[in-house]
Amino acid sequence: MFNAPTWGFEMSNTSKPVYRIGAGAGFAGDRVDPAVALAASGQVDAVALECLAERTLVPAINARAANPEAGADPRLRRRLTPLLPAAASTGCKIISNLGAANPRAAGQSIASLAKDLGIKGLRVAAIEGDDVMHLRQHVAWVRPVEGRLIGAHAYLGCVPMALALEDGADVVVTGRVADSALFAAPVRQFLDGSDNALAGALTVGHLLECGGQLTGGNYETLGGPKPGNPLSAADFAALGYPLAHVYADGSADITVLDDAPALVDALTCTLQLLYEVHNPARYATPDLVLDFTGIRFEQSGPKLVHMSGARTSGPPPTLKVAGFLELPGFIADCEIGFAGTGALARAQRAADTLRLRLSDWPAQDIAIDLVGMNAVLRAGSLARGEPAELRVHVSARCQDLEMAQVIEDEVYALTLSGPAGGCSVRSERRNRIEVLDGFIDPSLIRTNILWSHS
Amino acid sequence: MRVGDIAVGRAGDKGDMLDLTLVAADEAAYSLICQALSASAVQAMLNKVVPGPVLRYELPGLKALKFVMPEALAGGVYATLRPGLHWQKAAIWLLLDLDIDTQSLALKLAQGEAS
Repeated sequence: MFNAPTWGFEMSNTSKPVYRIGAGAGFAGDRVDPAVALAASGQVDAVALECLAERTLVPAINARAANPEAGADPRLRRRLTPLLPAAASTGCKIISNLGAANPRAAGQSIASLAKDLGIKGLRVAAIEGDDVMHLRQHVAWVRPVEGRLIGAHAYLGCVPMALALEDGADVVVTGRVADSALFAAPVRQFLDGSDNALAGALTVGHLLECGGQLTGGNYETLGGPKPGNPLSAADFAALGYPLAHVYADGSADITVLDDAPALVDALTCTLQLLYEVHNPARYATPDLVLDFTGIRFEQSGPKLVHMSGARTSGPPPTLKVAGFLELPGFIADCEIGFAGTGALARAQRAADTLRLRLSDWPAQDIAIDLVGMNAVLRAGSLARGEPAELRVHVSARCQDLEMAQVIEDEVYALTLSGPAGGCSVRSERRNRIEVLDGFIDPSLIRTNILWSHS
Repeated sequence: MRVGDIAVGRAGDKGDMLDLTLVAADEAAYSLICQALSASAVQAMLNKVVPGPVLRYELPGLKALKFVMPEALAGGVYATLRPGLHWQKAAIWLLLDLDIDTQSLALKLAQGEAS
């Protein structure tokens, strides 16, 4: 499984890492090429692809309801067609949650794709058990269920995936699992067996799960953008995704492939460590509750950071469940542009016109603002001179499609009956889906491994 | 001094919760942001933009401050009436663009250490 290390820099720890894992994707629509580069490099033993954000499950659940064979990530073939041959050439394992609402169908599709690509003997394991719709009466929801519950999925831990890998899986595909577990699963059997070591591997997973966000993506250096900012447009266009060399004690070296453009330092690592974490001393994952307060990052080479100090207070008493509620109605989201001299004054007058025309709308269900001035940060926006172009924006919660049409028509009507030059109108309608969190007793969950072969 | 000159930051979300992370450039910067950005000061500023209480977690070993607003994104990011989706990715600039009076803070810190 683990080949002799071939990387060309000095390790910060004198002992040898026990496993090397790369991040191949950080969300469903993420770039395809980073995973291929990692798998083809021979510098990682596995690549994990996080492809299932909280809401990404909603279209998958709806697709499966319409067709029992559907519900896996629709990007599966596009993503895996270049990845499977690259991984097969180096023996790199692939782990991903792109099974979405149908891991079984995803496993069969991957085996079938491997056959089409001429890859023989690929062992694909699909993990089922996250769908807890049939157990919804046993879920302790954080607030009452209002609207139609269209799905309920528990966050599974790393153990079923780890067992499938120990049984010889080349590819493991899942539905809802904790993102960190995708990365800890292949590492688990090589750790020293302590809870803190597994906490370290889960922390590595938490760091890597957002892909390029650990290596300079979505990151602004001190003082804001300026000449000499480390990453150029060409760097972003070819951004290296992170990989980790994990040691038996759960510490790790975070880096990228040789020559990949990236920024890896204590600041980028700390930001990602704390990203979307509530209490940093008690970050609950299905496997363990993690304590990040003792984590330390030490720059030990160019684009190379050593992570240590992960701790845990033990496993959590419950597993988190994400429930999806479909609420009646839509959100209509429309814009109209203004350009040229006086664009700001005309846009403000158009916004005021809409406020008068839509004054009957409940105030809490409508927002009218100026894109380019205050639509995003509202009262927290800072004005810096008058822009050359502006867009008036309206979003409104609407009971039905007819009411959505009313909002859209009022915006369009400005082109004839509002301030001069209303232009470039666009509009969209969004279904109203809300996520409802809940908790479930882990002993109620039954996981199942389904095998497919090419 | 602008907070973004001495710290980096990122916004995240989970359900109704908005979370803002600042990581200071060094120990002195960490002391300054700890002093300037109390939970109540941040709440007073953020309440113009998002509703609800602000919790603050201090991570001295990581030179980081974590602000969590459990009710800021009512209904989650898809329930927003702002244009498009994921407006909250920009929310960190509410903190990065704050001006803090570093001279008076430095004085207060020095007096605190002396007393």
